[in-house]
Amino acid sequence: MTITDPGVSEYLLCFADDEHLMGQQHTEWIGVAPFLEEDLAFASIGQDELGHAAALYALLVGDDDRAIDDLALRRDAADYRSCHLVEVDTGDWVQALVRHWLYDAAESLRWQVFADSAVTGLAGTAARAQREEVFHRRHADALLDALLSVPESASRLDTAFRHLLPVALGIFEPVEGETVALEAGVASESIAGLRPAWQELVVARFGPVDWHSITPPDQAGRRLRSADFAVRYARMREVNDLDPAAVW
Amino acid sequence: MDDFEAFLDDGGIVEADDDMPDAYREAVFRFIELHANSELMGGLTEREWIPRTPGLRHKMAVLAKTQDEIGHGHLLYMVAADLGCKTRPDMLEDLFAGNSRFHNVFHYRAKTWGDQVAIAFLVDAAALATQQAVFKNCSYGPYKRILRRIIAEEGFHMRFGEERMLRIAEGTDIQRAMFQQSIDDWWWPALQLFGPDSKPDDKLLRWHIKSERNEVLRDRWVQKFVPLLHGYGFTIPDPGLAFDQEADRWMVGSIDWEPLKRTLRQGGPDSARRISEAAANWADTRWVRDALERVSRRREAA
Repeated sequence: MTITDPGVSEYLLCFADDEHLMGQQHTEWIGVAPFLEEDLAFASIGQDELGHAAALYALLVGDDDRAIDDLALRRDAADYRSCHLVEVDTGDWVQALVRHWLYDAAESLRWQVFADSAVTGLAGTAARAQREEVFHRRHADALLDALLSVPESASRLDTAFRHLLPVALGIFEPVEGETVALEAGVASESIAGLRPAWQELVVARFGPVDWHSITPPDQAGRRLRSADFAVRYARMREVNDLDPAAVW
Repeated sequence: MDDFEAFLDDGGIVEADDDMPDAYREAVFRFIELHANSELMGGLTEREWIPRTPGLRHKMAVLAKTQDEIGHGHLLYMVAADLGCKTRPDMLEDLFAGNSRFHNVFHYRAKTWGDQVAIAFLVDAAALATQQAVFKNCSYGPYKRILRRIIAEEGFHMRFGEERMLRIAEGTDIQRAMFQQSIDDWWWPALQLFGPDSKPDDKLLRWHIKSERNEVLRDRWVQKFVPLLHGYGFTIPDPGLAFDQEADRWMVGSIDWEPLKRTLRQGGPDSARRISEAAANWADTRWVRDALERVSRRREAA
């Protein structure tokens, strides 16, 4: 099937926007990561996430750069459907690393629900993305294996983890159009249905968590942008806004 | 030294483990360290505009270019470290302490998207020209092999810069005005990247590290870019620029080398900010390197 239902569009837009913003954030670490190999690793992962975003946007508006960019970069802020985890400024690299792990653990689960998707092209996109996610997760795990084994860095990671965990729960907030998407065979599981599996991964990685004490952010069904969104979005649009008629 | 120079004149190639005169080792090391630092600082110049790239796939391409630059730096630091003069961490510490050099052009700030494109178009072309000239006759084997790869990638960057320049040149008044300003700001720094005329006894030429004189490379670049930019209706900020009918060449006006000299003392327009930000970032992430170093030592011990 091709996507005609606005509910299905809205549902896929959430994932596309997450991938776009996550990729955008990763790209900002090039040149300022702790060492040169990490500059390249974060940038490569950012490339993959931006590529996933482009593939998902293409399913919604066709594989045309102008149409993709209109959707990716020329919407009102209120029309974005990203979760707050991919919007927040991490400020330092330790938070960027923890977010990378939390996000990619969820992302792998999210691609799995499209393995038999009724949307033409989506299962293939998901399979390609999953192959890349193996490397993303391996990268984050290798760093965490090492850094969690040294008390000083483990304590920094723990602080970052406690700070980001509530925000990360926002990934699993049910999104509009999901019921339609599930009925139409676009996805095989709801986003909230993936949360238990993700929580197991989190506990196995970071240790026990009292989940009842953690409150997810207020995202209003992903209709509310976080405080950090505006600045980043202005930066992303800066050149396009100079001249709407220009082709760069 | 005479035997060594005769060996180089015969096309001899020096490898990292070979005996070589200290002066040669030091000269090659300094040259490669400068190149490595410049790739890294060039990547940092471009970095500021990646988040602002006006298109999703366009951004992926721009990021890929910066990844290449940082990757070149990474490879070059390894080649430089193999010469045994400084370790890679020492080279980075020196760079961030303002104690070692990088190319003049990266002491300037990319203030607009037009600057980002001008760098890819004018500066990368200048850098590529110098690298090709080194590659052609380079006596230090490890550097020559790395240059082969760098030059291939830089060729892609230059074509990418040309494509983007074309879209701007054929674009709106706002785009053209922005790019004219970028040419006004970057023409002289890019031209000075080649350096002043080579001295008659230039050791880098004698030892086949460089193969062409600075002024020859600079002139070739001028002959290419003056007609190209004029052809797109842009002006060049050189009141002395004139076409010599007899010689059939563009002649540039007198070059004020003072801005270049200032960058050599870390006193360029953006040197202080550029170095201090890189240094602050390097210091902020020291804990990661320290922790990984401890893990690595522990593994070696076990």
